[in-house]
Amino acid sequence: MKKALSAVSGIAVGFLAATVFFAEFGGSATPTSTASSDERSKAEQVYVPFGEHDDYYLMNSGGHSGQLFVYGVPSMRHIRTVPVFTPDPATGYGYDAESKEMLGDYTWGDFHHPALSETDGDYDGNFLFATDVANNRVAAIDLEDFHTTDIMEVPNIGGPHCAAFVTENTEYLFLPTRFSLPFEDPHASLDDFSEEYRGVLSAMIFDQEQKTFDIGYQVALPPWSYDKARAGKGVSGEWAVITTYNTEEATTNLEINASQADRDFIVLFNWKGLEEMVANGEYEEFNGEKMVFPENIDEHIYLVPVAKSPHGVDVTPDGTRFIASGKLAPAMTVFSFESAFEAIENEDFSGERNGIPVLNYESVMEREVDPPGALGPLHTQFDDRGNAYTSMFISSEVVKWNVDSGEVLDRHDVYYSPGHLVAAHGDTVEPHGNYLVSLNKIAKNNFLSVGPSHPESMDLFDITGDEMVHLSTTPVNPEPHYGQMVHRDVLDPFHVYPQDESDPLAVYDQNDTRIERNGDHVEVFGITMRSKFIFDATAERPDVIEVNEGDTVTIHLTNTDFDQDITHGFGIMDYDLNFEQMPGQTKTLEFVADKSGVFPVYCTNFCSALHQEMTGYLIVNPKE
Amino acid sequence: MTKRLSNSSVVSLYIAAGLLVVSIFLPWWGMRFYAPQYPEGLDIIVYPYKLAGEIDIVNSLNHYIGMANFSEETFPELQVLPYIIVGLALLTVVVTMLRRKSLLYGLIFIMVVGGIIGIYDMHHWLTEFGTNLDPMAPIDLEPFVPPIIGENIIANFVTNSYFTYGSFLLGIAFLLMLFPLWRDRKQ
Repeated sequence: MKKALSAVSGIAVGFLAATVFFAEFGGSATPTSTASSDERSKAEQVYVPFGEHDDYYLMNSGGHSGQLFVYGVPSMRHIRTVPVFTPDPATGYGYDAESKEMLGDYTWGDFHHPALSETDGDYDGNFLFATDVANNRVAAIDLEDFHTTDIMEVPNIGGPHCAAFVTENTEYLFLPTRFSLPFEDPHASLDDFSEEYRGVLSAMIFDQEQKTFDIGYQVALPPWSYDKARAGKGVSGEWAVITTYNTEEATTNLEINASQADRDFIVLFNWKGLEEMVANGEYEEFNGEKMVFPENIDEHIYLVPVAKSPHGVDVTPDGTRFIASGKLAPAMTVFSFESAFEAIENEDFSGERNGIPVLNYESVMEREVDPPGALGPLHTQFDDRGNAYTSMFISSEVVKWNVDSGEVLDRHDVYYSPGHLVAAHGDTVEPHGNYLVSLNKIAKNNFLSVGPSHPESMDLFDITGDEMVHLSTTPVNPEPHYGQMVHRDVLDPFHVYPQDESDPLAVYDQNDTRIERNGDHVEVFGITMRSKFIFDATAERPDVIEVNEGDTVTIHLTNTDFDQDITHGFGIMDYDLNFEQMPGQTKTLEFVADKSGVFPVYCTNFCSALHQEMTGYLIVNPKE
Repeated sequence: MTKRLSNSSVVSLYIAAGLLVVSIFLPWWGMRFYAPQYPEGLDIIVYPYKLAGEIDIVNSLNHYIGMANFSEETFPELQVLPYIIVGLALLTVVVTMLRRKSLLYGLIFIMVVGGIIGIYDMHHWLTEFGTNLDPMAPIDLEPFVPPIIGENIIANFVTNSYFTYGSFLLGIAFLLMLFPLWRDRKQ
C-alpha cells in the first residue's frame, strides 16, 4: 500500500514536473508564437527606420474633403494633406489672393480619381490631376511643391466622376460626366430627358509650361451616366474607353430604373481621330466650345455591350485589352482592343444606339472570369507578371487572376467593401508588381472606436509572391477614391522658392519694404523673416500697418528666409485671414478694412525659437 | 659676386608663382556649423575674392546672438586680395628671372610678413564679429572669439574652422620658395 502510494505520488510529481517543464519550453513552439513571428516579419516589412524614406508616394483622393492625402508606402504614414478644391486654414489655401481666386466661391469639392501625368505610358512625376464631381472643376497639382497650381471650371458638364485619366503622353485628360444635363434649353423638362439631355465628355489639355488648363474639344454623348474612363496604351494609345450606366435613360429612382437593361455600354472612342476632325473644323460651336455630335459622324466613337451597370474599366499594361464588369455581376470581362478594331473595320455591328454603332459583344469579348462566390468586381490593377488584381465590393476581397488564361490564382479578404485598388505604377505600361493597396470604404471595429462612424481603411499587400500577403491596415480620412502609387525616384520636389527679381510684388531686401497709399487703397510690400514682420523698415514701428476704416488693403509679403522648412504664417485676428508662406515665397492678401480697432497680426506657422514674438498690429482708424 | 639660382630652383619658383595664381580661384578658409536642426551643416567658405556657402542663413541665425551681418562688402580685403596675390606671383617671376638669391630672401621675407598680416587680419575679424555683439540681441551671450582653426561651441552650434585647398597651395608655394635655399645652399 505504502509502496503503491509512493509510486502514484512519484508519478504525479513526475507529471507535474513534466507539465511545468514542458509548459515553459513548449510555449515558444505553439502556433501562436509562429503567428507572432510571422507578424514580426510583416512589421519589419512595413517598418521604415528613422532617417530613411518610404519607397513610394501614395496619392489618395480625399473625396468630399476636396483634398489630396499623401502617404508613404510601405509604412503607410500620412505625410501631407494637399488642399485642392477646399479652403485649408493650415496652409492658408483659399485665403491669399491667388488661391482664393482659384477656388472661386466654393468651400468644398468632391475630389475623385487622381491621375499622374505620363510620358510614354509611365508616370513622369510632373503633375497630378484631379476632378471635382460636385462643381465641375479640374485641378492640377504641381509635384515640385505639392501645391495646386491651376483649377478650371468646365462648362456643359454635370460632374466629372470618372475623370481624370490621362493619355500616355498627357495629351489629354478625359472628363466624362456623371449627370446628364439639359443641353440646348437649360430648363428642359425631365420628361424630355432622352431628347433634350446630354452627358458631355470633355477632352482637356494641360499646358505644362504655363501650368494652365484648356478644353481641346467636347463630345455631346447620349443622356446616360458615365462612370470611369481609361486611355489606351501602345497599340491602343489613340483610343480610350468609358463605362456608362443608365442607358435606360431613367430620370428617377435610378437604383431600380437604371438596373433594368441586361447590358449597358462601354464607349470606345478614338481621341486622336476626334482631334483631327476638330482640327479640320468638323465640329459645331456650342456654348463657346468645340462640340462633336456622335450621331453626325460615322467613325471614331463606338459602343461595346457590357454586363449591366459597370463601374471600373481598366487597360492592361501592354494596351491590348480592357477589363470591365457589371458592378452587380459576378464576373470580370476581358475585351480585346484588337478584336474591337477588327470589328470596326468589318462593320461587325449588332446595331446602333442613339446614332452610335454598337459592336458585336461576342466579337470583342475575349473571356469572362467568374471566381465562385466573388461579387461586385469594380477595379483592376496589374503587376509585372501578367496578373490582374480586382477589387470585389460586395464580397469584400481582392481576387488575383491571370489576364491571359483567366485562371484565378489567389483571393484575400479585406476590411471591408473595397472600392478602388492601387498598385505601384499599377495602371502604367510598367507596373512594379510589389505593393498593392486596397482602398476600403468601411473599417468597422478595426480601430479604437470614435463613435458611430468608423474610419475608412487601407489594406497593404505584398504581391511579390504567388499568394498575396496582407501586411498592414491603416485608417484613412474620408474617403479614398482611387490613388496613384509612384516611386520616390520619379519625383523631385524643390525645397526653397528661388528669388524672382522680375516679380514686382516680391521684396527681398528689408530696406525695400514700404507701405504705399493711393486714395483709399493701401498696399503693403513687406517681408517675413525669423522672427519678425517688416512692413516698412523706416517706420517707427516696422511691424504695424495703419489704415482707415473702409480702405482696401493689399498686403504682399515675401518670406526672405531662403532656408529649407523655415515656413512663416501671417494671420490677422478677427479678420478671418491667414496664410502660410514657404521659404522664398511671395503671397498676397486682399481685404477691405471694414472693422475699426486694433488687430494683432502674428506668425501662425511655427518658425523658430522666437516664433511667439513674431507679431505686429493692424490698426484700423475709425471713420471720422 | 651675386649667387645665381640653379635651374631646378628656377623651375621650383615658377611653379610657386603658378600655384599662387591658381590659389585665387580656390577656397582658402572655411567654417562649418552644425546644430540639431542643421545636421547637414552650414558653410561659410572664404575665397580670396568672395564668400560662399549658406551666408544668408548663417546671417539670419546670427541675429539671435546679435552678431553683425557679414557679406563681401564687410570685408574690403576681398576686393584687393586677388591683386596682392597676383602681385606676389609677378614678384616671384621677377625674382626668378633675375636669379638672385638675395632677392629670394627678400621675397620669402615678404611672404612671411604677408602670412602674419593675413593671420592677424583673420583674427581681427573673428574678434570683431565675436566680441562686438549687439547688446539688444534676444540671446545674451558672452563675447567670444572663434578659433582660426579648430572646434568651438556657440549656443546650440558646434563650429569647425579650417584651412583648405587655396591655403594649402599657398603653403606648398612657400615651401617651393624655400626649396632653392636648400638646393643652392653650397653656392
